[in-house]
Amino acid sequence: MNDVIIQTTGLTKDYGKCRGIFDINLEIHRGEVFGFIGTNGSGKTTTIRNMMGFIRPDRGNSVINGLDSWNSSADIMKNVSYVPGEIAFPALKTGTEFLKSQAKYLGVTDFKYMNHVIELLQLDPTANLKRMSKGMKQKTAIVAALMGEKEILVLDEPTTGLDPLMRESFLELIREEKQKGHTIFMSSHIFEEIEAVCDRVSMIKNGHIIDTTSLYDLRHPSTKNFIIEFKQKEDQEQFIENRLFAITCTEINTCTVQCSVDQLDALFNILKNYQITNLREIHLSLQQQFMRAYKEGIAHNGNK
Amino acid sequence: METNKKTARFFSKPLMGQTIKANWGLCLAILLIMILLGNVMNYAMSMMATEKSDVDVTEYQENFYSYLGALATYDTMTQQELSYDDFVNGNNEAAYETAFEMLNAQADMDLSTDGFRQSIDGLSQSDISLDKYVKQFEYVYALNQSEGVFDKEELTISEMLTVTLDMMGVSSDMVEKMSEMNPASMMNQMYYTAMGLLPIFILIVILANSLIANQVDRGSMAYVLSTPTKRSAVAITQMVFMIVVPFLMVAIVCATRVGTSLLFYDEVNVPGIIALFGGMYILVEAVCALCFMGSCLFSQSKKSMAFGGGLAVWFFLASMIGLFGSENMVNTGMGVEELSVFNKLTLVGLYDVDSLSTIGTGNVDTTFVWKLLVLIAVAIVCYTVGAVRFSKKDLPL
Repeated sequence: MNDVIIQTTGLTKDYGKCRGIFDINLEIHRGEVFGFIGTNGSGKTTTIRNMMGFIRPDRGNSVINGLDSWNSSADIMKNVSYVPGEIAFPALKTGTEFLKSQAKYLGVTDFKYMNHVIELLQLDPTANLKRMSKGMKQKTAIVAALMGEKEILVLDEPTTGLDPLMRESFLELIREEKQKGHTIFMSSHIFEEIEAVCDRVSMIKNGHIIDTTSLYDLRHPSTKNFIIEFKQKEDQEQFIENRLFAITCTEINTCTVQCSVDQLDALFNILKNYQITNLREIHLSLQQQFMRAYKEGIAHNGNK
Repeated sequence: METNKKTARFFSKPLMGQTIKANWGLCLAILLIMILLGNVMNYAMSMMATEKSDVDVTEYQENFYSYLGALATYDTMTQQELSYDDFVNGNNEAAYETAFEMLNAQADMDLSTDGFRQSIDGLSQSDISLDKYVKQFEYVYALNQSEGVFDKEELTISEMLTVTLDMMGVSSDMVEKMSEMNPASMMNQMYYTAMGLLPIFILIVILANSLIANQVDRGSMAYVLSTPTKRSAVAITQMVFMIVVPFLMVAIVCATRVGTSLLFYDEVNVPGIIALFGGMYILVEAVCALCFMGSCLFSQSKKSMAFGGGLAVWFFLASMIGLFGSENMVNTGMGVEELSVFNKLTLVGLYDVDSLSTIGTGNVDTTFVWKLLVLIAVAIVCYTVGAVRFSKKDLPL
């Protein structure tokens, strides 16, 4: 259990009228990139605020590195960097000034890594803080958080306002951090980026965790689904008779095949005998999984 | 990788640097306004003091009137037209010499042109023009010529004045008090309890809000608290700023005021001025602490602003209204004594300008001591409550 970095048990913060978070149990392990997905207002930020010790939970607790979030938040911050969801900078003139003052808080004296991050994100920190665009601000906030090179990164919707190219650079940064063995907790409502970097994902809805999945399972499913289109109708009819796989016909010439990973070889051996015009794998994306879980969630908690 | 940075528990240097960087411009502007206000006020008061010179001219006035009286008798006796105006023109000195010689011989008096001139010179030291004295003499002389028609009593100018004022509905008591009024004390009261306080009150309200509540509301506090900086360190650092900055400002204003006073006046009660500004600082700190507490209690900038600003405006208004209940204002007829109730409804009322200004003089009035102690207590309690609350509350960061 020593490699559990962030743990919340029964974390509850009730704002009334079904708002807030209820009974959140999370475990994030060392070196893991953990995604936290949910719609707007589902409780992502509240959970993160609890973990950072900004608000006191009504019930349950959150522990980072063995320290209680609320009681020893300042000590936790020695190992935690945080990118807040809402970007508002202190009343300083330029980005450089802000980054310098932030470095003083963190006790950072070596700016090599900071400059590396700035370069990667193509940030011009000499700009006036107040006139920065949303994306610029977001980049500045990311640089400010990352320059401490802390073991744990807590990012609240870190990619809002970034253009697709920058988002890619940011994900590259996250991968770098992961390589260093740092633990990353990031919330988002964009499935692609979570899918691209995260190891595990939790989905939250109306303050309840509705699903926690490992993306490894998603990327390496034990059964695969294919859509096969045959040139001739007779081929299809003949293929259906095959009892090795679960086959369903969708339209003329086309059928869907479900097969486990071990059977793949056998499947392709059989398919050699047919004339095939199209073969497509049905990829279950995180979004689909989320939608499914979300609908189930509605079914479960619909009357709440 | 663990940074070897220690957790800031009580004081955060970077935060202090940030606070200074963000606020020095405003502080400087307010400081300049305060210096300007204080010293222009001081200059005005010094002008007022010199205008109303305290030279005692009663003796010269008596002499002057006896000369004029003598001339008047002489004129009626000899059908001549000698007068003060004529004498000052100086074309006819011989006529006056003969007149005075004649009067001296007649009534055993000691009149001379030199004596007349001396009395004129002496009287002109006062701010009132000699024409006025001549005119007043005309009335005195005319009234002396006759007596009351019914009561056969002597008629005097002062009695006439009293009766006239009473007829106009103006209390003659008030007129008397008005002449006894101390404009310097009134100006002091006005400067120290109202005008001098306004700029620094504005500064305090803005500062207190921007140091805590505004940063929490906007979310920029997250960048401070996501570093190894305890909340208590944030509260204490901002508190130190709010204690030191007003102190420096009041001290600088006090220094310039002492400086200009030494320029404008011959005699300056330096300990008195320092005591007044010291009291002002304690009052300012009490208000500071209240605003700071508001800033810590509320997470919304507008609420904290309403709390701090509302209180400061109320204190200022109440002390303004209370000013109209002060003795000086009541004496001039511009105030009503009942309004002094307002002085009890504001913290400014605990800043006793009159008793503080007795420091450095012979008889020190010590009523200011307990009042200032109350202010200090208010400051300590509010600062503590604010800091503790800030360390314990939920922050929407």
